[in-house]
Amino acid sequence: MLGKRLRIILMLAMAVLTLSGAAMAQQESKAEKQKLFLDGARLWPVYCSQCHNARPGSQFSPEQWDIIMMHMRTQSNMPAKDARAIKEYLEGGL
Amino acid sequence: MGLVKAYLGLLATAALTVAVLGTVTVAVVPKALADDAEAQAKALKQVERELRQLRADRARDHRLIEKLERQLDQVQTQAGQIRTTNQQLQTSTQQLQNSNQQLQTKTDEELKQIQAQVAAGPSQPQLAKALGGYWGTHQFTLTGAAAGDFVYDRQAGQNTFALAFEPIMLYRLNDWLAFEGTFEAAFDPGGSGASFDAPVVTAQMFLNDYMELNLGIFDQPFGDWYEDQGPLWVNRFITAPLPFGVAALVPPSDIGAQLRGGYQWGGLGQDADYTVWAANGPSYDSALPQPVVGQELNGVTNTTINTNGKAYGARFRVYPFPLDSNFGRLELGASTYNGKWQNGLWLNAWDVDFAYHRGNLQARGEWMEAYRQMPQGSGPDNRQGWYFQAGYFLSGLRLPFLGRGINSYLSRLEPLVRYSGVNQRAVVADEIAATPSLGFNGSPSVFAPHAREVALGVDYWFAPSIVWQTEVDFELPRAGGTLYSFNGGSTPTASPVGATSNDQAILTQFAVGF
Repeated sequence: MLGKRLRIILMLAMAVLTLSGAAMAQQESKAEKQKLFLDGARLWPVYCSQCHNARPGSQFSPEQWDIIMMHMRTQSNMPAKDARAIKEYLEGGL
Repeated sequence: MGLVKAYLGLLATAALTVAVLGTVTVAVVPKALADDAEAQAKALKQVERELRQLRADRARDHRLIEKLERQLDQVQTQAGQIRTTNQQLQTSTQQLQNSNQQLQTKTDEELKQIQAQVAAGPSQPQLAKALGGYWGTHQFTLTGAAAGDFVYDRQAGQNTFALAFEPIMLYRLNDWLAFEGTFEAAFDPGGSGASFDAPVVTAQMFLNDYMELNLGIFDQPFGDWYEDQGPLWVNRFITAPLPFGVAALVPPSDIGAQLRGGYQWGGLGQDADYTVWAANGPSYDSALPQPVVGQELNGVTNTTINTNGKAYGARFRVYPFPLDSNFGRLELGASTYNGKWQNGLWLNAWDVDFAYHRGNLQARGEWMEAYRQMPQGSGPDNRQGWYFQAGYFLSGLRLPFLGRGINSYLSRLEPLVRYSGVNQRAVVADEIAATPSLGFNGSPSVFAPHAREVALGVDYWFAPSIVWQTEVDFELPRAGGTLYSFNGGSTPTASPVGATSNDQAILTQFAVGF
């Protein structure tokens, strides 16, 4: 009897922990995306203008930016994290 | 007497009658009485039957009445429900009419908005998204550039139009693998049709956040120019600086493999990157019967399989300022190139470069040296090259004595200046081709042992990637050297040559990056 109760309590505790963990992960992901977006907004005019005029996010669709940013990462050797930030900004800025 | 007799007769008759009647009565009355009682009993029974029938009828009628009363109650109840339902239906109808009116109003408004949107047409991202959906895949995209030129050179006395279309096809297979193909179609004077080329065809594999493997035909990672300044709308000028033009010191492209990547070593914007590569290596103008000092490298179209050994090199760049410093974006770079161009004979080169961008100001420059080992009997083929350029975007400029309209035009202008030069001991007469073409001003003075060029330019930007460029070149050769000439023979004749005369050229170009 005691064992059954203990199992139920443990299961409930695990469910609560799982749900709260998922919520925290979602919040972290959202916060991380927001930080990427803000970094991208700062990096976009600087990195692009190093070689050419910065083109606005509205010029290509998010799917096209996915490909173009792979190309530009190769061209400029920019850090992968910064490429992700600029992509987030260009796609979120639509 | 007679009367007595008559009276007596009457009495007799009467007595007789009475007697008869009595007799009859005595004889008949009991029977009649019995019959009457029987009839009465029958009648009574009949009455009783009728009474029972009446009672039954009454009971049936009573039940019927009760039933009818119940039915009446039900009908009345149903009538009440129907009235209630009817009332509810009337209320609902009223509500529906109100909702319908609201919906009609809302629909009218939305219809007006849609009609306005249709009249305005789809926005660029909407169109791009729609096209992406129509194509059914988001892994392929097309970018690139196109340009139309007009070129005039004073010394050669030639002028011409030229046209180039340079699409870049990008294909993304997944997050770590992509392909790129850059293709060129150009209409240049002197040819019978378009010329085609594929200067870049690569597969790019992103191994991790810090390393990428690049395989194929790639722009030479030597200095900044070949990789980053080549596209028609990216180059602020129309021509290339001298060391990256007809008098190139290292090949503009090669076929091989690269490892490259970048990382952030400090604050945001403080980056460093690297490229190391190995490729087939350099080759020189194979049209000449034998190698000579000053001969040209093969161009983009002549990537050859060099069996004499591979070339290798590296390029490093660093960005010292973080974004927060507000010092602008400074890039410092260094490159090396080492490759056998013939058995036992090497072409060794190095380059240092910088680029700076802050606000409306952009500047860049490079210095490079190349050492080419020559066969016995010939001196070394050493060369130097450099360029420095600067431009200032006039956006934000507002001259109070000019109207708003003129100021808006002025703010789209970018004045430019560039100085470039190449030193080499000799040039080859057979290679001098002073025909203007797209990106080349056609001046014979460029083919000088010590060529110098001052280029002035002004760009008018319609959009970030649409530009009308105008460039004036002043060719100012500094000194002479040796002129090699084969003249159809197998051995060259060498003759001293002085500085060729100065020259001027003008170019204008409309370029679109897409």
